[in-house]
Amino acid sequence: MNALSVLLAAEDPSQSHHWLFPEIGEIIYGGIASVAIFVLLYRVGWPMAKKALEARTAKVQKELDEAAAARRQAETDASNIRTALGDVASERSRILAEADAQAAALLNEGRARITAEVAELEARANAEIDAARSRSGDELRAEIARLSAVATGDAVKSALDDRTQQELIDGFISKVGAGR
Amino acid sequence: MSLTQVNSYVAAMFEVAVANDALAAVEDEMFRLARAYETNETLRSSLEDSSLPVERRQKIVEQLLGGKAHNVTVQLASMLVGTGHVALLPQVADALVKRASSEKQLEVAEVRSAVALNEAQKTRLADALAKATGKRVNLKVVVDPSVIGGIVATVGDEVIDDTVRTRLDQVKARF
Repeated sequence: MNALSVLLAAEDPSQSHHWLFPEIGEIIYGGIASVAIFVLLYRVGWPMAKKALEARTAKVQKELDEAAAARRQAETDASNIRTALGDVASERSRILAEADAQAAALLNEGRARITAEVAELEARANAEIDAARSRSGDELRAEIARLSAVATGDAVKSALDDRTQQELIDGFISKVGAGR
Repeated sequence: MSLTQVNSYVAAMFEVAVANDALAAVEDEMFRLARAYETNETLRSSLEDSSLPVERRQKIVEQLLGGKAHNVTVQLASMLVGTGHVALLPQVADALVKRASSEKQLEVAEVRSAVALNEAQKTRLADALAKATGKRVNLKVVVDPSVIGGIVATVGDEVIDDTVRTRLDQVKARF
């Protein structure tokens, strides 16, 4: 408590020689201290601040450069995309043209093939009609021959009574015995 | 069916037939049985039907030949059925006839006719064939309705055909 009282007492303006100006000693010491602080700030603080400012400037510049590079890259990409879009369009046009050409070729080929097949079918049909006509004639002749042969056979068989059979046998024996 | 099997059967049958002094009858009856086997589908399918017991099939042979053929013929035919080689019957019979004929210096003359020949016709025909071919023949007559009329005779490689069937075929070919 006594120390506090002393301190308060020391701060008491009523204890100074002037209410505004400090003591000469305080001015000297305060001035020296202020100069020392300024020197210290100039020697130590200013380089640090300068360095920090330079670093900040470099960082900002770097970010600006990166932004510029990003912009250039974006512009390049945009250009490429525009080019690619142009290529796609031209490729699409080329493919469509090629497809149109192939379709036309297939159509022509199909028409030609169908025409040829129709012609071949017509020729084959005509040939088959002719063959059928000929075959019908041949079959008719063959059928007549077959029926004639059957009729002849039936007629011969009906005429072959036992006496005729014996005559055939005896005739065979006689013919073979006579040296055929 | 191998030729060896046929020859084995023929050799055995020949010996048995000779031993029983029945070669002429056996070879003739075997020949006729073989022709019946060839032409009669019912007989053939019955004798070849493996679902029928062998004894039953042998009974069919015995009933078919019994009283009409030599006992040796019946036994030999029954043996073929019993051994499961009835399908060899035509080959065996033909080979037996050929061997029997060969023993007698005869050539087999197979004659096909639409109707049966009487004994006089057979004799005259055998003589005529012998004269025509220069060989003594063992005549084997087969009644074959498919010839329609007339006769076709086969002596060795020689065929003498004077059948109505052949003439009709020629007429048919001319159509």
